Amino acid sequence: MNPQKGNILIVDDEKGLRLGTQRLLEEEGYVVSAAENGTEGLRYGTQNEYDVAVIDLKMPDIDGLDVLKEIKRVHPNTVCFIATAFASYDTAVQSTRLGAFGYIQKPFSTEEFIYQIEQGIKQRNLILAAERLAIEREQNLLELASEKSRLNAIIKSISEGVLVININGEVGYYNYAALKLLNITNINIGENILGNLPSQIVELVEKIYSSDKILLKSFTTEFVSNKGDELYIEAACTPIPQPDGSLAGVVIILSNITEYRRIEIIKNQFVSMVAHELKTPLAAVQGSLNIILDKSITLTEEKEEDYIKRSTYRLKSLTDLVNDLLDISRMELKTKQREIVNVHIENVIASTLQMLELEISKKHLTINKKIQKDLPVIKADINEITRIVTNLLSNAIKYNREKGEIIIEVTCTSNFLSLKIQDTGVGMKPDEKVKLFTEFYRAKNEKTRGINGTGLGLSIVKRIVDSYYGRIDVESEFGVGSTFLINLPINHN
Amino acid sequence: MENVKKILLVDDDIDLLEQNKTLLESKGFEIITAESAEVGFKVFEKEKPDAAIIDLIMEQMDSGFILCYKIKKTEHGKKIPVFMLTSATYETGFKFGASSKEEKEWIKCDGILNKPVVVEELISKLENFNYH
Repeated sequence: MNPQKGNILIVDDEKGLRLGTQRLLEEEGYVVSAAENGTEGLRYGTQNEYDVAVIDLKMPDIDGLDVLKEIKRVHPNTVCFIATAFASYDTAVQSTRLGAFGYIQKPFSTEEFIYQIEQGIKQRNLILAAERLAIEREQNLLELASEKSRLNAIIKSISEGVLVININGEVGYYNYAALKLLNITNINIGENILGNLPSQIVELVEKIYSSDKILLKSFTTEFVSNKGDELYIEAACTPIPQPDGSLAGVVIILSNITEYRRIEIIKNQFVSMVAHELKTPLAAVQGSLNIILDKSITLTEEKEEDYIKRSTYRLKSLTDLVNDLLDISRMELKTKQREIVNVHIENVIASTLQMLELEISKKHLTINKKIQKDLPVIKADINEITRIVTNLLSNAIKYNREKGEIIIEVTCTSNFLSLKIQDTGVGMKPDEKVKLFTEFYRAKNEKTRGINGTGLGLSIVKRIVDSYYGRIDVESEFGVGSTFLINLPINHN
Repeated sequence: MENVKKILLVDDDIDLLEQNKTLLESKGFEIITAESAEVGFKVFEKEKPDAAIIDLIMEQMDSGFILCYKIKKTEHGKKIPVFMLTSATYETGFKFGASSKEEKEWIKCDGILNKPVVVEELISKLENFNYH
């Protein structure tokens, strides 16, 4: 017996025929169950799914058609034959209507019977294959649908605007970001949209449509959308080719580039400021040299030396400026390799004061140090901490009055190290204080005339302090003096 | 040009002020100077110069503009050439000039001079100044 060949159910109340067909089929390699009446046949046929069932029409207990009906209800894929000696056109139609595959007329020859069973098995296999295909197809469709909705969800939720139009300018697809960026309240699929698009985009689209061959590249343009705030928007238009190579339409990707524009403006302003700051000392030096070289101008030896001295001085400040700019650029690029060591701030202060000794004594300034005992070390790059102290102290000297005072105070709490540098100098007006940390800002008033600087010192200090997650504060009164307070976090590990 | 003897120079850069003074004095001009816009206006009112050359960026980005504007509003200021001096040119991104009539109206000066001052350029500008 070979279960692969098929499971057959025979339902017949006629014992001889039942056992005969059972033996015959088993010899052919089928697995056969035999039921001796309608009730038994119904039980077998509904409890197990058979490949083929042969049901006798006339049985004493239940009619064969009822058995057929019930088996087909529970197992619609079981191929059923009705077998009868009382063949009539009506019963044939009725049994077919109830789902019978065929009709076997009694008496039958063994060849005929085997042939019918084989046909039944073929039918059963076809049904099963069709069912498998149907299931597979359904699964594919489900996958396809979820893939489509997934893509749709992705495109709908990205912040770039997507708009697809065909060669007639009609909308084929769009997402909400496109509506927002184009400042359009509503688009209908199939609607011609060219009239509602910025002229810059229309120009590109027309260029793509009018070109002889499809260029597989994007064309970008920019436009300004006025929806409350001014938005700078970049539009990239890419042709969509058909499978046959002709043009299907254009996909337009819209990106909000306002932030880039803003950064660009800041960058340009910075470059302008730098250029101006560089050009001023150069112009001064060039002017001095021109005068020295000008044969038509007679200069005393003293005056000539003065011009050279001034030029040297301007060149030195130019070098300082370039160094400050390089520092800022390194900080911006974060290429500055930090060498973190244990820094004793009191040592940094002592060495900085020593370096600035000459300037301090020239102005006859008094230095008053109030440094707390047993200060903790801070983990930092010593060059950066030195830079903070140097810039603050040199400002306290430069902007101080003759015979003034500088108070340097260092204290610490459990988490912060505080450095306070107080001067008795020119101080600042409130509006000057606000701009203090801006690059190239230098308080210019009647009291600061003649004080040189790059305008970058405090900006550098702030950058360093910020990079250590510290804080810088300033208190100042015009004509009285300024106090700079820096808090640096102490690294406990 | 014959009208111009006394020139007012206003610049907060002492070096440039000093140079331009030396330079223009060597060409026979009488030079009076001021180191700020505020002082510049006082000197202008007192000395009534025949021309003025004003640095654009002094205490504030627009100090030179404001001084020009103030000078050009006075009776005497309307009669004399007033030039703005700057190292900021088109290359540095500051876009202005005084070529069109509208710009002259708005900027209220009669020309822009670049640093360092080229005497020939200044003289030619003085010569071309249209006295009403």
